[in-house]
Amino acid sequence: MQTIKNILRNINQNRIFLIMVLPGALWFLFFSYLPMFGTVIAFKDYRFSRDGFLASLQQSEWVGFKNFEYLFSTNDAYVITRNTIVYNVVFIVLGLIFAVGMAIILSEIVNKRLAKVYQTGMFLPYFLSWVIVGYFTFSFLSVDKGVMNQLLTWMGKDPVSWYADTTYWPYILVFLNMWKGIGYSSVVYLAAIVGIDKTYYEAAMIDGANKWQQIRNITLPFITPLITILTLLAIGRIFYADFGLFYQIPRDSGPLYAVTNVIDTYVYRGLKATGEISMSTAAGLYQSLVGFVLVMTSNWVVRKFNKDNALF
Amino acid sequence: MRTKKHRDVHHLSPGLNVLFNIIAGGFALLCVFPFIFVIIISLTSEASLNKNGYAFWPEEWSFAAYEYIFKAGDQLLRSYGVTIMITIVGTLISLIVIALYAYAISRKNFTYRNFFSFIAFFTMLFNGGLVPTYMVVTQVLHLKDTVWALILPLIMNAFYVLILRTFYNTTVPDAIIESAKIDGAGELRAFFTIVLPISLPGIATIGLFATLGFWNDWFNALLYIDNPALVPLQSMLMRIENSMQFLLSNAQLSSSGQSLELLRTLPQEATRMALVVLATVPIACAYPFFQRYFVQGLTIGAVKE
Amino acid sequence: MAKAKKWLMMTFCLVMVASLVLTGCGGNKNEAGSGADAGTPEKPVELVWYTIGTPQKDVDKVMEKVSEYTKEKIGVTIKMKMFDWGDYNQKMGVIAASGEPYDIAFTCSWAFDYVTNAKKGAFYDLTELVDKYGQGIKDALHPSFLEGAKIDGKLYAIPVNKELPAQKVFRYNKTLVDKYKLDVNSVKTLEDLEPLLAAVKKGESGVYPLSAGKDFKFDLPMDLVNENLPLGVRLDDKGDLKLQNLFEQPEVTKHLDTMFKYYKAGYLKQDAATATTGDEQKTGKWLVDMPQTQPFADTMWTDSYGYGIESHPAEDPYVYNWSVTGSMMGVSANSKYPEKAMQFLNLLNTDKYLRNLVNNGIEGEHFKRLAEDRIEYLPAKQEGYDMPQFTLGNFFILDKLPTDPDNKWDEFKKFNDAAKNAPLLGFNFDGSSLKTEIAALQNVREEFYPSIFTGSVDPKVYVPRMMEKLKAAGLDKVQAEMQTQLDAWKASKK
Repeated sequence: MQTIKNILRNINQNRIFLIMVLPGALWFLFFSYLPMFGTVIAFKDYRFSRDGFLASLQQSEWVGFKNFEYLFSTNDAYVITRNTIVYNVVFIVLGLIFAVGMAIILSEIVNKRLAKVYQTGMFLPYFLSWVIVGYFTFSFLSVDKGVMNQLLTWMGKDPVSWYADTTYWPYILVFLNMWKGIGYSSVVYLAAIVGIDKTYYEAAMIDGANKWQQIRNITLPFITPLITILTLLAIGRIFYADFGLFYQIPRDSGPLYAVTNVIDTYVYRGLKATGEISMSTAAGLYQSLVGFVLVMTSNWVVRKFNKDNALF
Repeated sequence: MRTKKHRDVHHLSPGLNVLFNIIAGGFALLCVFPFIFVIIISLTSEASLNKNGYAFWPEEWSFAAYEYIFKAGDQLLRSYGVTIMITIVGTLISLIVIALYAYAISRKNFTYRNFFSFIAFFTMLFNGGLVPTYMVVTQVLHLKDTVWALILPLIMNAFYVLILRTFYNTTVPDAIIESAKIDGAGELRAFFTIVLPISLPGIATIGLFATLGFWNDWFNALLYIDNPALVPLQSMLMRIENSMQFLLSNAQLSSSGQSLELLRTLPQEATRMALVVLATVPIACAYPFFQRYFVQGLTIGAVKE
Repeated sequence: MAKAKKWLMMTFCLVMVASLVLTGCGGNKNEAGSGADAGTPEKPVELVWYTIGTPQKDVDKVMEKVSEYTKEKIGVTIKMKMFDWGDYNQKMGVIAASGEPYDIAFTCSWAFDYVTNAKKGAFYDLTELVDKYGQGIKDALHPSFLEGAKIDGKLYAIPVNKELPAQKVFRYNKTLVDKYKLDVNSVKTLEDLEPLLAAVKKGESGVYPLSAGKDFKFDLPMDLVNENLPLGVRLDDKGDLKLQNLFEQPEVTKHLDTMFKYYKAGYLKQDAATATTGDEQKTGKWLVDMPQTQPFADTMWTDSYGYGIESHPAEDPYVYNWSVTGSMMGVSANSKYPEKAMQFLNLLNTDKYLRNLVNNGIEGEHFKRLAEDRIEYLPAKQEGYDMPQFTLGNFFILDKLPTDPDNKWDEFKKFNDAAKNAPLLGFNFDGSSLKTEIAALQNVREEFYPSIFTGSVDPKVYVPRMMEKLKAAGLDKVQAEMQTQLDAWKASKK
């Protein structure tokens, strides 16, 4: 009885906050949590029933973890897991450095109008789909008509068969990912830097701090919470790869699979003929679970250092 | 007057300023370059594209692609209309819902803040997958073939919520809110009169992201919209792109006699690039609107005055 | 302030109630109707028909006309929904999986896959309904069509009556053939092409005479169980139906070596293994390629490329499962009116007026009648009703266009009658117990096939490497299961 009373009192005390979260919470309920029941598909051999989706779910046979097996069954499993993780780690680290760096640079540039022009420019790649970006990379890397090979020949070097040679692809993919994403991700940091109280810098200048010291002692500490959160969230997606980047850009070229095959492309190729939704759901669940475990661990570590910076 | 003060604040040495300009300008150029290329290709005649591939200075310029699109006419205008409508309405609703949610979970005196943070975060990782979501949207919420199917699924986004929460936490010291409350303001009033103005850059960022999200969305339209009057611009573009890919990469179809007849009906390369231009230019122009709010000087002091 | 709070509280309650109501609504499902006696000219039922193709703006207008007719005839009205080529798979996949009701859908071997979806239970079993309402279809269709469309003895979709077999040809760019006075009649195999390729390579700079993209395949001596796996039965099989490996066939080995030789000699473009076909056809910078043919293909190709094309057979025509299932119409397992749907399909495939209406649109608006069975398209046809005819039903009752020869459909019939049945016609492998292996095998296939078949890599090195990976991915297990099913099928056929 006492506890119920307590809860009611708590609810009453928090009612203004509860009202604030209500629309969002309802949204999560309908668009995220209600569909989540569908995840059981991953453990079933999904067949269609005449009586609609729920009946199909019910009547399909339980198969345990069978739908997950293909993710682990072959040597490819190692390759795709390694590629996915390594690329994502590189993307997270470099993305962080470049995005923060670019945000600081943009915030420091004296001519604000120019800075805005640059910023707008950097945003444009975000609008081009990977398919379109793929056309461009191809016009650069095509064996006979590509700009790169014409350049190499002109310099007296041998042309490279770009779409058959794995050597350069890790760099190409990382470069393109940075190129496409920096404009977008630096905006968040820029907005945070812009929000820093100017009096801090004024005080620092009076103390004779140089630019570097100002960045290190004011700007960076100020945006650390944001960096932490964004990194934590990125870690949660570490098992998800950007399908377009790894499929469209290398033109699905077989000889490059060793460095371009990631979980998402593997699942796509494996299931495109059969369209097994049980197996694709299983893959998604697996990717989420790993991400979840990693975030929870990292979050726990973050909490040890600074409770305020943690996700929860 | 104001800008002068800022220059003082940052006090960047001229050398460093030039270096920064070179880095940022160089990178921006690298980013703009393909886009200019897209524009050039959209203005290249199909014959020279076939003959020479992409070229910076095409052998033959042509407006044929744009003529082709505008001849098809009303669909394009209608799609523009749909996109603009869902972008504006969607962003507004989205901002309200997200800003409130994020504010509540940023407040330390909200007992359930961790619970609601977790609820949001969890949806970033786990989702029910395509078919269950489709079921909920079509059969529980009955949104199929309505404009709400393009808006509601994108209203909330845990990623934005958590970013904005961080913005509130870092830019708005608890002390100000407390002092406002001592002055007799409730949480809501404190939120609207103090928190919102201070965290404007953060709100603008989320607004920008939400706008882009609505503008670029094509997948919800693919799933839920059959009525051509409700097809947004990006969806129209993606439809063409996907169909192109499908017809070209479908081994069985492309080696059969039928594929020719089908490929004939697809827009040519220049046309597809023209569609990219038409879909991107308006939203790229909207960008500076959000930049307005990235102004330095909206400090706590300014609010106190 | 207090007012605002109350107001908010109210909204909260309203939202709560609204959501409850919504959830409640979702609960009660569509009440099942009995389809048999519904649907009369006075009270017609509506059939929803999903089909593939770029949505056309006059579809509703034409379907109104169609409905007028079908209402009288069989008591149904038709609502057609088109999904664009690239969307169809995804949309139908979701619709089928979610059990959303519809009646008729386009299905085939390359989009909304017929066999897999039929096995999962997406389609209504039409075996009995065809006997009851589909006599017209049975009379019109070549028997091999229905044979090849059956899965475990049951029919789940009605094939479109069109060209039946598949046959690869050597297709030549006539401009270059004439310029270099090449003897194309002497070419019977891939190997025979060499002097022609060499001549063109020498004479034309910047031309890669053998045009091939990532999906390129030469003529294969086998009927494959699954297009994506290298397992099948030889076309010259004598009836013992023994599964063999594609890459162990002497012809294949020889052709692969030849391709590698051609590639090294520069007869193919260097990026053939990642290229999509069709680019050089636009520019005319090619000599020969190997597509599938159909009657009057040369004329059709010449018309669309704008320069002369001629082709010569590279293999005998055979009727395969996949050529039969290249275009079909299925009835949804969730359809409330399967019988009506079957009646409609029968009418569509046998009624000249209806079939032409669906294909060509409305007379006077989309086309003009020139003679009894000959029409001419008007501009509105291309603008508002440009339909892919091979997805919409029986070819043989279609009106001819001004450019079509008089004997068009006779030639199609001849082409169909001349074809032999491939050994596995009617056999469909059920891979549901081997999904793990099949997913892994698909990946190996994607990795190696394009490079190997375009000759981009040395087959002596890469074929063994691929085989090793295929075996590791479970090829033998799949082969054993396939053989078991095949043996059972063989026994059932006797």
